Amino acid sequence: MVVVAVVAVQLALVARGYWSDHKEFAFQMFPESSTWQADVVRVTADDRRVPVSRPWAGYRWEELVQDRGLRYPSVRHHADAGIDNQLAFLDAALDWVADNTPRDRETRYLEARVTAWHNDDPATVEVMRSDVREGAG
Amino acid sequence: MSPLERFDELLGRPVSMRALALLRVLAGPAVLLHLEPFLSDSLDGQTYRDAFYEPYADWYPDLPEPAYIGLLWLGAVAAIAMSLGLLTRLATATTFGIVAYNVFLSTTHFHNNRAYLLIVLGVLAVAPCGRELSLDAWIRRRRGRPAPDPRAPGWPLWLLRFECAAVYGASGLSKLVDSDWFGGTVTWQRVVRAREDLDAWPLPDWAITALTDRGFHTGAAKFIVLTELFIALGLWWRGTRYLAVWVAVVFHLSIETSASVQVFSYLGIAVLVIWAVPATRDRVLRIDPAATRHRQLATAVRALDWLARFRVERGEPGSALQLVDRDGTVVSRGPAVALTFSRLPLTAWFALPTLLLPAVRRARRAEPAGMPAMGQR
Repeated sequence: MVVVAVVAVQLALVARGYWSDHKEFAFQMFPESSTWQADVVRVTADDRRVPVSRPWAGYRWEELVQDRGLRYPSVRHHADAGIDNQLAFLDAALDWVADNTPRDRETRYLEARVTAWHNDDPATVEVMRSDVREGAG
Repeated sequence: MSPLERFDELLGRPVSMRALALLRVLAGPAVLLHLEPFLSDSLDGQTYRDAFYEPYADWYPDLPEPAYIGLLWLGAVAAIAMSLGLLTRLATATTFGIVAYNVFLSTTHFHNNRAYLLIVLGVLAVAPCGRELSLDAWIRRRRGRPAPDPRAPGWPLWLLRFECAAVYGASGLSKLVDSDWFGGTVTWQRVVRAREDLDAWPLPDWAITALTDRGFHTGAAKFIVLTELFIALGLWWRGTRYLAVWVAVVFHLSIETSASVQVFSYLGIAVLVIWAVPATRDRVLRIDPAATRHRQLATAVRALDWLARFRVERGEPGSALQLVDRDGTVVSRGPAVALTFSRLPLTAWFALPTLLLPAVRRARRAEPAGMPAMGQR
């Protein structure tokens, strides 16, 4: 019974890998040659757009977001586990930074203008935003 | 007997746990290698919570930082105990639990190699793989207690074989159905974008030209995909198993030299031991105790026979070296040496190609009349 259940779950996870962002236990290795680059800014209460490459309120982006190739988003990178996976991480990172920078009293939300190249397809551009922070400004 | 009953009987049939015991020993270093970056950060007072992370679920428990760091170090100690086989069941279950807890703390912790490590640890945690190659067994012997049966129901071994094949199969299949991958676009672009790294390699110009040529990748990508699928399927049949294992080792070493895959290469090669037939001491190496070279071979076999393939016996003085294979085939002299080394984990990769030599093939086909078929199953 245990064996049958594990085999069934494993097969289901392999199938799930074809549509999920993170593809846990799907073992899709080196899936794409896709690359991406993002201009990430803080949008303040007075509508200024400040690149996160500049430190703010004692925070640095590269210290807040250290993993999964997100440290220097302005540099074009390979999307190690596929472009969907990479952009899902970036989206989550925007929210995490918005939620975990309490000394920052001016930022309303973070915004990323992402350029993605899926394999050798033409570039696509999309804009991602974090949740709006309460009490900014 | 119905197919379901036969399947159930197969899962419950007692087989040797030797391969899983060896894998348990080898898995400890993989765990330490996996935990190393987390432990290194912890020495600087850093944990996952000091930077971006993304919990899988809100209800998943976050430990206080000192407890989390303590848990990581406990995991390292448990991994060492697991490898040594000290309180094996507890150590293996603890290692699995801590590695699993840590991986599922954040989506950012998840990588394919860690998923594979979790699967291996999970199987080892439920398999009675501490009865051999363990301090537990040594302590038991020292106390004069009878050795437990090294065999156990085979289902954990079959399950891990399925998972091992699934890793190669899922990877190969995902590339097969992706036209960019199968057509060569993905590998070509990866190589072209890494041109600077490629130039740093000691490769002749013609090789670099070939590697960056689009047409080369049209064929190379198919070769890679079919290699993965061959490993996934070839491991299941005895006729192709040795070739699949040999190819898998090359495959992992190639990946290791060209990509950063954490513990995947080491773990992938280590797990291949589970494809050994789960029976022990069913080959006999018969030596002339007066011959120095025979004694040296016997010493090497005793040291390297981690899967317990051989019994070493004394033959008649002046007799030739003989190997009685599992099926009763008797092989002598050079071919016996080649066959012996092809069945030892550390030397198998080097020795397996020698089995293709005509002299060895002839020797394996010929079985001298009157020789006993020892250890036949």
